[in-house]
Amino acid sequence: MNRKAISTSLGAALAALAILSAVFAASAGAAPAWKFEGKSLEGTETVLGAAIDSSMTIPGLTTKCEDFLYKLTIKNEAGTGKGEVTEVPLFNCTASEVCTVKAIAAEALPWPAKLTTVSTSNYIVIEGVKVSILYAGTKCVLGGTKVVVTGSAGGLIDNPTETATFNATTLTATGTSLKALGQKIEWNGLFPTEAFEWHREQALSVS
Amino acid sequence: MHEHRTRAVLTALLAVAVAALGLAGGASAKLVGNYTRFAQCPYKNPEVARCLYSTTNSGEVVLGKKTVPIEKAVVLQGGYAESDAKGNSKFIGATNGITLSKAAQNVPGGLLGIVPEASQPPLVKALIKFFFENKLTGLTSTLELAKSASDIVVNEEALGGELGPGLTLPVKVHLENPFLGKSCFVGSSSSPITWELTSGTTSPPGPNKPITGTLGEIQFLEGGSILETKGTKIVDNAWSAPGASGCGGILAFLVNPIINSQLGTTTKGNNTAILNNTIFIAAAPAVKSNDEENP
Repeated sequence: MNRKAISTSLGAALAALAILSAVFAASAGAAPAWKFEGKSLEGTETVLGAAIDSSMTIPGLTTKCEDFLYKLTIKNEAGTGKGEVTEVPLFNCTASEVCTVKAIAAEALPWPAKLTTVSTSNYIVIEGVKVSILYAGTKCVLGGTKVVVTGSAGGLIDNPTETATFNATTLTATGTSLKALGQKIEWNGLFPTEAFEWHREQALSVS
Repeated sequence: MHEHRTRAVLTALLAVAVAALGLAGGASAKLVGNYTRFAQCPYKNPEVARCLYSTTNSGEVVLGKKTVPIEKAVVLQGGYAESDAKGNSKFIGATNGITLSKAAQNVPGGLLGIVPEASQPPLVKALIKFFFENKLTGLTSTLELAKSASDIVVNEEALGGELGPGLTLPVKVHLENPFLGKSCFVGSSSSPITWELTSGTTSPPGPNKPITGTLGEIQFLEGGSILETKGTKIVDNAWSAPGASGCGGILAFLVNPIINSQLGTTTKGNNTAILNNTIFIAAAPAVKSNDEENP
């Protein structure tokens, strides 16, 4: 084999390696950034919203909040989208006919957030989640019991609709989980992502 | 006058009969559906906040050198009060008096303690079992409450949080065999074996090592009135047991030491209780309501 042939083979191998590395980097979670009107966010921005739909389920008992609000501060750090959930006011929460929600509160705020890519889809991962729920009701077996939900949650970002969806699939995809009473719980939520400060009414995307 | 008196007596008898029927009707009020298992819960007692029905389906009790697998289900049932500042709830026993059901578990190797090795052929194992675990040489071990039901303590927070004792149970072990008589016990009401069972991790003294339980999977029934746990493993391997007593009747002074030598050291760190349970907990007012709705 002559020198030229060796050089060609080596080049092809390196190219293949580069392609493989790129593929692995993407599937392992390449870091996407926050963008407004297609341009990377500089500085910080505040995203405010209310869940379009949200529920937390321990098998047999689903807790819903009519008003599930959130305040998220976002920024890009070294080209990677990050953020912090700073406020999560929860109101008008219900559970079942026998179990009422006497009190519910997000704790240990702020919750750190980061963007990640898994298999070409972009996700926001919120860590350090802690929500305490005090159930009531004389016929409720959890009456007077404070249930604490902890863990992390990954939600799928959809650029066209400017929403983040959290469900069992997105939590599995991001390797996150929420726990209460010693086990994984189901959380479904659809949240709009809309800027309310410098980039108000500008399209927010993640890529 | 005579006819009038007869009529009065008949009326009184009829009234008594109606009252009796009424009482019978009240007594026959029944629980239905998922509530049926709470029939022995003292849910009419205003002190009772929750009803408990826990079945230990498997597990093992290691007492010194003896290991007794739990092969027959044991039921713990009753109710418990609201928790105190430490999260502890006082237990109130089952209405039929059977708070902890008695299930005689076979002690492998029987009285002589001859247990076949795992590597031995099935025929040898069967023969050893036949000769040493029969009615004469066989030995059973029955778990009984050593104290009143009110000495049982439930801690929901510990059980749910998999941290610390979730169920404290004062027990004694009844050893039964024709030679041992009817009063052979390890543990007593004055010196009970106290299990502090946790769904978390134990921290026993040696030679035992920490073991871990689990709350298992939970689900709510009846819209949240009943909590069911499956695969709940509660453990304790930091308990001590006193020596055997009352074994062999009038020959107890001879037989007790023999039993104790067979058991070996039973101080803390040498014994283990592993209970695999299915637990049902209900809000007592929900059980009461189910009762009243189904006369």
